[in-house]
Amino acid sequence: MYNLQLSPEQLEIRDTVRDFVTEEVKPLALRPERLEARTRPLLSDVLDKASQLGLRTLALSEDAGGAGVDTLTSCIVTEELALGDPDVAAVLARTSTLAHALFDRLMTPEQTARFLPPFLADDRYHLALAQLEPDRDAALGIHYHRPETSEADVKTTAVRAGDAWVINGVKDRVANAPLAGLFAVEVNSGPGGTSMLLVPRDAAGLSVRESDHSRHFHHGVCGELVFTDCQVPAENLLGPEREDALGGADAGRDAPLDQALNLGIGRAAYEAALEYAQLRVQGGRRIIEHQAIGTKLAEIAVRLEVARTVIWQAAWACDHPEAFADRSLPDLPLTRIAKVYASEAIYHATKDAAECFGAMGVMRDMPLQKYVHDALVCLHAGASNSDAKLRIAEALAGYRRPARPAALAAE
Amino acid sequence: MDFTLSNEQRSWQMTARKFAEEEIRPISVERDEISDPRETFDWEIIKKGSRLGFRTMAVPKEWGGHGTDFVTQALVMTELAKADSAISKTFSQCWKWSHLIAATCTDEQKRRFLQPFLEDDTYLLGKGISEPSAGSDNRLPPADDPKAGLKLRAERHGDEWILNGEKCFIANASVGKLFFIDARTDPNAPLKQGTTMFLVPRDTPGFRIGKVFNKSGWRFYQNGEMIFENARVPHANVVGPVNGSDMKTQQAGDRTGGDLFGDLELAANALGVCDDACGMALRLARTKKQGGRLLFEQQVVQLKLNRMHLLTEALRSFVMRVAWEHDHKLHSANPGLCMNFSTDVIQEVSELNLELHADAGVMEPRADKLVRDAIIWSHLAGDSVQRMKTTRRLAK
Repeated sequence: MYNLQLSPEQLEIRDTVRDFVTEEVKPLALRPERLEARTRPLLSDVLDKASQLGLRTLALSEDAGGAGVDTLTSCIVTEELALGDPDVAAVLARTSTLAHALFDRLMTPEQTARFLPPFLADDRYHLALAQLEPDRDAALGIHYHRPETSEADVKTTAVRAGDAWVINGVKDRVANAPLAGLFAVEVNSGPGGTSMLLVPRDAAGLSVRESDHSRHFHHGVCGELVFTDCQVPAENLLGPEREDALGGADAGRDAPLDQALNLGIGRAAYEAALEYAQLRVQGGRRIIEHQAIGTKLAEIAVRLEVARTVIWQAAWACDHPEAFADRSLPDLPLTRIAKVYASEAIYHATKDAAECFGAMGVMRDMPLQKYVHDALVCLHAGASNSDAKLRIAEALAGYRRPARPAALAAE
Repeated sequence: MDFTLSNEQRSWQMTARKFAEEEIRPISVERDEISDPRETFDWEIIKKGSRLGFRTMAVPKEWGGHGTDFVTQALVMTELAKADSAISKTFSQCWKWSHLIAATCTDEQKRRFLQPFLEDDTYLLGKGISEPSAGSDNRLPPADDPKAGLKLRAERHGDEWILNGEKCFIANASVGKLFFIDARTDPNAPLKQGTTMFLVPRDTPGFRIGKVFNKSGWRFYQNGEMIFENARVPHANVVGPVNGSDMKTQQAGDRTGGDLFGDLELAANALGVCDDACGMALRLARTKKQGGRLLFEQQVVQLKLNRMHLLTEALRSFVMRVAWEHDHKLHSANPGLCMNFSTDVIQEVSELNLELHADAGVMEPRADKLVRDAIIWSHLAGDSVQRMKTTRRLAK
């Protein structure tokens, strides 16, 4: 069975989000002051409205109060949102994904009872996952195809003291940190073992600092968390399935939302170039009627369509894990493959789109330079493509690195 | 074949290298990060460079300049661009038009304009061609649309010409003291037969600068709008024959540089950026560790460094060959091909440099700046119009 037909629900959601972006996001996102990629404030009002539309809780199950959509639908929504504003898309995708992972899969009923109601009640309540640490070398690089583990120990520690965990350390590049009401924090909880603790924003001993937007390859907002004898109740320990649910095991098959976002950026550039090429007249005719520009637009379309195909395949695979088991899908890290292809293809597509605009393609009061910048950010966000290729190669060879020490589980 | 430089060429290169490292590099990123596009410019660096001869080095010796050859000019552009591409371009933009003055102006015009240019460290030159609805049409006038191209109108009234219209994307607009302006003097003739070039000083009545464009790259390099509202230019400021603007490249061959110098200029400048990117990447690989070992030990890093250097050295060979061919008055499509090639090289090399830094978790503003500077080439040197224009030279 091979079926690329979207369901009526998926089409309806796409149309709804597309209208929302056209009416509520684009008019704000394309204001001159927002085109300066380095200093653009987050569109908070748009985030509020998106939350009211259900996009903050999109992937959260219906039982828990969300829309319970699958990964493919989340990708479609993220692409549409990023067409308007990648920062808004990134914040919502992160919260929606974590809401599903935390509330539907990882929390105990007691934890859900404490954290779900305030999350549902507040449009500005977002979620964040804190894993990265300053100067911690997480690259594969030199460890390619070698048994040494690439990740140094987690330096943020949690020590049990009576009925509480006491956390000390620093996390950085935490997506959504400035907006999050609740953090899932990876901690070193014993000799070589890591655990995940739930830390509410108002926990004593936690301070959150927003990172300078221009100094990170990152869409949305991110920040740094500093824990100084920060205490959380013992009951805030998350269950042992976290590796799977939070992409911690990193099989290269997590939801390809970052690439869906990237696709939205590419499409914004493409749509702008296509429109302009049908208006601008040089050489006595509309520039789309010249072979040089026509071919360029065709190449952009080819890149975007192929990118969408690999992204959707990876998304569909997330929704149908059984397709790996019955050999319908190749036993490969499909999301990682999608990331490598899409991020390179889309960066080139935005550059080509900008070229259609001549000198206007580099002007900061025009959106084209912003699309190129935004695609460059996607190209370098997260783990590098060089590393991704090495991990794909390890997968091709069937190489398995020895597992890390077992984590502590919830009591 | 002899690749050695003369003592004089070597001396210019060393002076440029020292000035670039000591004076330009320290202000490069700082200037790039200023958000107001009018404020990125710095007169002090222009004055310092001017005193060393970097503003006037292309003026022939008989007119009081340094009369450097094209090989020297290429060497200097590369050295200056290694520290800052946009600052290098600000200087070489003056060479481009001093070549033009030397080749096309009358002695009387040279006295009036070359003398003050030589004497004043803040005297910068520019040329206005592009207009809001005429970019590609000026570069590659369509045979089937004779009215296409620039529209700025010049009409003669006695000893004066009255100019009306607008120019946009004009380099040095907000800082230049003298501009060459192409204007339509016969609106019924095709571009090449109906355009005249005028010398327009900054203080010409009826002429003013509009907005300064806010570019994502080359931020130091000023670029603005020009507005002509009944601007009055004396007939004595007409360059060459009326309706004969095109002589700057066609009849004059490459005596002037003109377009041909512009091609060499962008390629030589790109080479400097590539040198800088290679240097940054190599330094990173030899100092930054991952997993306890230097990045340089990794095959993927070695292959990227290899690619960056092979492209850069291939560009250097091409740039120096074109400069040498200019000095020997050899005409070919090579300058254009070299410029087109420099677009591919500067972008790939600067992108690889950024990639190596990003992969190592190093946020290096200068690596980001080089990528933004390199994207400018897409719109000047490597767009399809510039490539097709070069191809047409092959068929001549």
